[in-house]
Amino acid sequence: MAWKEMKKNKAKFLIIGAIVFLISLLTFIISGLANGLSQDNVSLIKNMPEGTFYMSEDSDDSHTQSHIDPQKLNETMKEDENAFAFSLQMGALKTESDNQQSVAFLTSTETSLFTRVDSGEVILDSSLKDQGIKVGDQLSSPQFQGTFEVVDFIHNQRFNHSSVAFINQKDFNHMFRTEEFQIIYSPQINEEISGLKAFTKNEFLSTIPSYQAEQMTLNMIVWFLIVISGMLFSIFFYMMNVQKIGMYGILKALGMRTGDLFKMIWSQMGLLTCTSLIASALISQTFQVFAPDTMPYHLPIATTVQLSVVFFVVGFLGSTISGFQIKKIEPLKAIQQGEA
Amino acid sequence: MSRLQLEEVRKSFINGDTEEEVLKGVNLTLREGEVTALIGASGSGKSTLLTIAAGLQRLSEGRVIFGDQNLPDLSSEQVRKIRAQHFGFVFQNSHLVPFLTVEEQLSMMMDIADMKGIKQYKQTKIKEILDQVGMSHRLTAYPSSLSGGEKQRVAVARAIIHEPKILFADEPTASLDSTRSRHTMELIQQLTKSFDMTTLTVTHDEEMLDYVDCIVKMSDGKIVNA
Repeated sequence: MAWKEMKKNKAKFLIIGAIVFLISLLTFIISGLANGLSQDNVSLIKNMPEGTFYMSEDSDDSHTQSHIDPQKLNETMKEDENAFAFSLQMGALKTESDNQQSVAFLTSTETSLFTRVDSGEVILDSSLKDQGIKVGDQLSSPQFQGTFEVVDFIHNQRFNHSSVAFINQKDFNHMFRTEEFQIIYSPQINEEISGLKAFTKNEFLSTIPSYQAEQMTLNMIVWFLIVISGMLFSIFFYMMNVQKIGMYGILKALGMRTGDLFKMIWSQMGLLTCTSLIASALISQTFQVFAPDTMPYHLPIATTVQLSVVFFVVGFLGSTISGFQIKKIEPLKAIQQGEA
Repeated sequence: MSRLQLEEVRKSFINGDTEEEVLKGVNLTLREGEVTALIGASGSGKSTLLTIAAGLQRLSEGRVIFGDQNLPDLSSEQVRKIRAQHFGFVFQNSHLVPFLTVEEQLSMMMDIADMKGIKQYKQTKIKEILDQVGMSHRLTAYPSSLSGGEKQRVAVARAIIHEPKILFADEPTASLDSTRSRHTMELIQQLTKSFDMTTLTVTHDEEMLDYVDCIVKMSDGKIVNA
């Protein structure tokens, strides 16, 4: 019966389906953009596996103020062969045509996570390709006396909304007049090292200036959208069924089981929601493939599935609440007032 | 032979602070193959009596005996089952399901009545009933394309497709013109006989009394003349 009603009232169900599709698409796209902005801010750190980040105790939870004693670094790396140290500083690179780009300079000890770079060379995040920079270009920096030759590009390595520039330790030390690394990273979790302050990945992310404030704002937007969309979903399914209370009452008078009416409501909700969610998930994922590199858009499949489950559950609740109204309706009242 | 028996049926409603008794100890017996009409002024209690007899609302006191069962003693699920399998309903407005064709309306009622059968049996049965009500040519029509009289014929067909023992008709001709009203009542009378059913109908139209076997007049919640 559910399918027959949908077939007969194609326009009505198409409109409801389109609304569900548009609301979910909007939520997916906004989530993708929020995630994208988050990635754009700290994809360098997010791409690293879960582990522990260490900064010096006097760093005041800021990596720019952290300095790891070289002896402590040697001891740590001796004890944990997978540990490595790295430093990050904001700066700028200029092309030969005076096109200046803000970058986050990164240098590290030997590790499989970051590509090794020789002195005078730089590896850049691939988003800089869109600025016309290519392999073999010579780039200068106000902080560096010589030039860097672009030897490669690497995908999705951003920090503080800037492209990451991987440089050699010697060049980094020369540019920023330092001999010490800022951070030690170890894939081990919950390992304490005396004299150093340990952070989980999420704790470390929250020490990055602007990241927490930005994330709170973005999460607020996304959750508001999810709550409002969820409520709209619920209200649509509730209204759709409440309008038919008279007909359901007549069917109850004829002897139809309330359980069969619930099945009818749920199957319509399920079909509409699934079709609309699949369509919006496909479009939002396709958009991810074709979105320009300069647009911060990142929507993992897991997020799409999580949001879809939330929408499905909310739609189910909305239709179930209307089902309870139907359960309560007296067949007699429906006969006297209802229109089947 | 008696098919449904109402004994000392009383029904009261609470209206604000006062209790209003709309049925004041009604006794009525409905027999096989007979059409019984309930007549009376508005508010005399005839529709309330019909819906209590049909298990659509609970009574305050008394007994409604169907077979060897007293309906007020049964659970709502048991009453639903009896309504689905043994009772048929024709309402004042046909109350057809707007998105089902004539054939589907009848098929749905067979499903409600748990008439499990092969598709071919169902189709034959539907065709047979629609032939009897003169609607077999509108098998695939939706209610929106039927006239008032046709809708009521389909409603009658839906009410009897599962071969109920009792047909309840609440003012089945109220929304029809005189000719269509006569046709509908004639049809109900004829089907009651041919299916050996029992029919209880409520009517305001005295012309329709030509088609009934027994007239029960109600006034102020009591039967005044049977």
